[in-house]
Amino acid sequence: MRRIAVRGVACVALLGVIAAAGAGSQQPRADQQEGPQQGYAKAAPAQRADATRVFLGLGAVPDKAAAARGGPLFAQNCAFCHGEKARGATGPSLITSDQVLADNHGEHLAQFLRKGIPEKGMPAFASMADQQLTDIAEFLHQQVEDVANRGAYHVLNIVVGNAAEGKAYVESHCMQCHTAETFAHFASKFRSPEQLQGNWIWPRRSAQMTAHVKTAEGTVAGRVTQISDFRITLVDAAGKTAVIDRKPGVEVTIDDPLAAHQEMVMTLGNDAMHNVTAYLETLK
Amino acid sequence: MKLAVVLCIATGAMALAGAVLHGQQVAVDPETIGKAPVTNWTTFNGDYSGQRYSTLTQITADNVNRLEAQWVYRITEVGAQRGAPVPIIKCTPLLVNGVLYMTIPDHLWALDARTGKQIWRYDWVDHGGHLIGQRGVGIWKSTVFFQTPDNWLIALDANTGKELWRKNYADARKQYFSTSAPLVVRNHVIVGVGGDAMDMPGFLDSFDPVTGDLQWTWWSTPRKGDAALKTWPNAAAAEHGGGMTWMPGTYDPDLNLLYWPTGNTNPVFAGQGRPGANLWTEAIVAIDADTGKLKWYFQVSPHDTHDFDNTTAPILFDSTIDGKPRKLVAQAARNGFFVTLDRDTGKHLVVKPYVPLDYSSGMSKDGEPIPIADKDPQVGGSINIVNASNWPAPAYSPQTGLMYVNSVEGKAIYYLTDDSDKPSGYGGTGDGIGRSVRVLQAIDPLTGEAVWKHAYPNVKDAPTTVGPSILTTAGNLLISGDDQKNMIIFSADKGKILWHYELNANESGGIITYLLDGKQYIVLGAGDSLYAWSLSK
Repeated sequence: MRRIAVRGVACVALLGVIAAAGAGSQQPRADQQEGPQQGYAKAAPAQRADATRVFLGLGAVPDKAAAARGGPLFAQNCAFCHGEKARGATGPSLITSDQVLADNHGEHLAQFLRKGIPEKGMPAFASMADQQLTDIAEFLHQQVEDVANRGAYHVLNIVVGNAAEGKAYVESHCMQCHTAETFAHFASKFRSPEQLQGNWIWPRRSAQMTAHVKTAEGTVAGRVTQISDFRITLVDAAGKTAVIDRKPGVEVTIDDPLAAHQEMVMTLGNDAMHNVTAYLETLK
Repeated sequence: MKLAVVLCIATGAMALAGAVLHGQQVAVDPETIGKAPVTNWTTFNGDYSGQRYSTLTQITADNVNRLEAQWVYRITEVGAQRGAPVPIIKCTPLLVNGVLYMTIPDHLWALDARTGKQIWRYDWVDHGGHLIGQRGVGIWKSTVFFQTPDNWLIALDANTGKELWRKNYADARKQYFSTSAPLVVRNHVIVGVGGDAMDMPGFLDSFDPVTGDLQWTWWSTPRKGDAALKTWPNAAAAEHGGGMTWMPGTYDPDLNLLYWPTGNTNPVFAGQGRPGANLWTEAIVAIDADTGKLKWYFQVSPHDTHDFDNTTAPILFDSTIDGKPRKLVAQAARNGFFVTLDRDTGKHLVVKPYVPLDYSSGMSKDGEPIPIADKDPQVGGSINIVNASNWPAPAYSPQTGLMYVNSVEGKAIYYLTDDSDKPSGYGGTGDGIGRSVRVLQAIDPLTGEAVWKHAYPNVKDAPTTVGPSILTTAGNLLISGDDQKNMIIFSADKGKILWHYELNANESGGIITYLLDGKQYIVLGAGDSLYAWSLSK
């Protein structure tokens, strides 16, 4: 059966990664950072898709080549009633069809399509070759995958803004702290426009906070590796780690290098975001 | 001969169970279920109100420094579960006659509350469903009710763990999955369901506690002939509209109304195929417990496109306003709005943001936030808030008159990945941006204003499943924790930290307290371990 979840040992490592990124409603998602999610975001797309499929219990991997062959057949014979992506038209959506979900690679569906449900107006496709019927089945499984496996989603072309307006925004908002040097060849530093967009708004690599901690023994300064209500951990310029309990009398002063960026995050509008991204994309 | 051996073993097993359970036979008078918890904790929230408030005063600000772990039960016999490398306790345990009932997906334990030793364990082999969490069981007389990832309701003998009956109520192949704790009300076992990967409608089922027969079903989206269909483009969109019911609701015995929070709309991020408010997703609904009929609704997130999944507990409390006694319900919703409603009529008293947000242009005449379309997920990205709260339980203290919630302030960029006119599934994705901070808030539910806040310091951004849960007591204690493994006790009135202890993992389930042998215990799950605390001598 298609739905039986895989519990292979090989999956375990990936599942640790997917733990925080998979299950929607009840679940942290990749949009909000939690330890494992960073790993999830870094995972190769195919790995991410596979791990999510296992997590969701989506079953067999559709045969992409067969699905591609099945596409035109579906368009010609089925789409009129069920819609071009099988999401329903005059006929029902097939994404959650019992017939589709009970099938792995056409072993049940081919038989079903051959007979149809004439009493409900679905014709029999008795004259189609076996290969064609299983190709249609794979096409349907691919449609289910495209909907249900959010680990396989990818963003569209996010460069939708106006570069000239983006340039004006950068000149009026960013040059108090930055110079033209900051933005030289900016786009060539990133693999994708969405990575560029995420990084100009929030340059993660520069996000490390520093602190001064005043205790009875003196002041310690350095990079903050962790802080809670009860403890702060610092690494000073010499690379020495200090763990200090935040007892009464201990004063902590934090310096956030991205304070200005955080202010921007809280107020940035979508148009300005799109425009700046479009402008920076031109700086190869 | 063979039969004799089997009988012998069976008798031996019974005897063993009997020895452990001697003098503490579990049997709950249905009249006492949902009453204020003192020596028992009989529902997910302790009582029906969802307040998670205890009248116990043995542990106070003055002696809290004498708290000591009495026992720890660590799960050692269950390995990695799909989606979690180690088992994580996300349940609120029940406590009845000295027996604790604790769950993780597929597994249920009865533990001796005096020692933390296992009395019995029930294991389920699932065929699908998500193993993301299990919130606990319901109890009625000597029957325990347990929901499985693949949507079976299982009735077990509370004393032996023997299965009495089972019912399947949803198809895991359609991405329905269950993590909830059933809510037992009179002779109803109320069961909710999760799952939003395939655009299925949410529902609530009520089952007979003796026979397992279905008593009624309430659908989260309207069917043919219902006036609420005008909030959807067509019947097919409504029938694929989501609104899962995956967290336990609350209940007012006098009004005989269930208050259930309904989850996000489907398709999740791509709203262009479903113009309209999309009732009754993203709402608090009041449902007659005997008939399953909707009495009123208040939609907290009309036309949601951000997975604002409105499943944070609606808490019931009474107050006096302008000299008149009022029956109220309040929720710190995941969309960042705090709402207080009249729980008889559903009319709003307070609708106010409790985190910084800018996606709403105001309120409708019914007090429902009006979203700004430009803030919907877009192909080029759209900045909006992260979920401001989540499933871990908030609390209310009648002593302070304050609601308590662990919230998150932060933003994400939401991308539309399916811009067709007929999207399906999630249709979008998101990516956190900037810092996100966990903030414990004490909110006056009559004004929506925070009386005090505590931001938990951290250089790492807040996790999205905003926890842990909260419990308050008449000893002016607020028990919760941070996301750096610290269990923390605050004063409920001022938010002053009184005590903390570093556990082996973050608190991950609900926190309960009860009196056993004259001693007040605090019990909570953190990762794979259940901790029981009380005062040292």
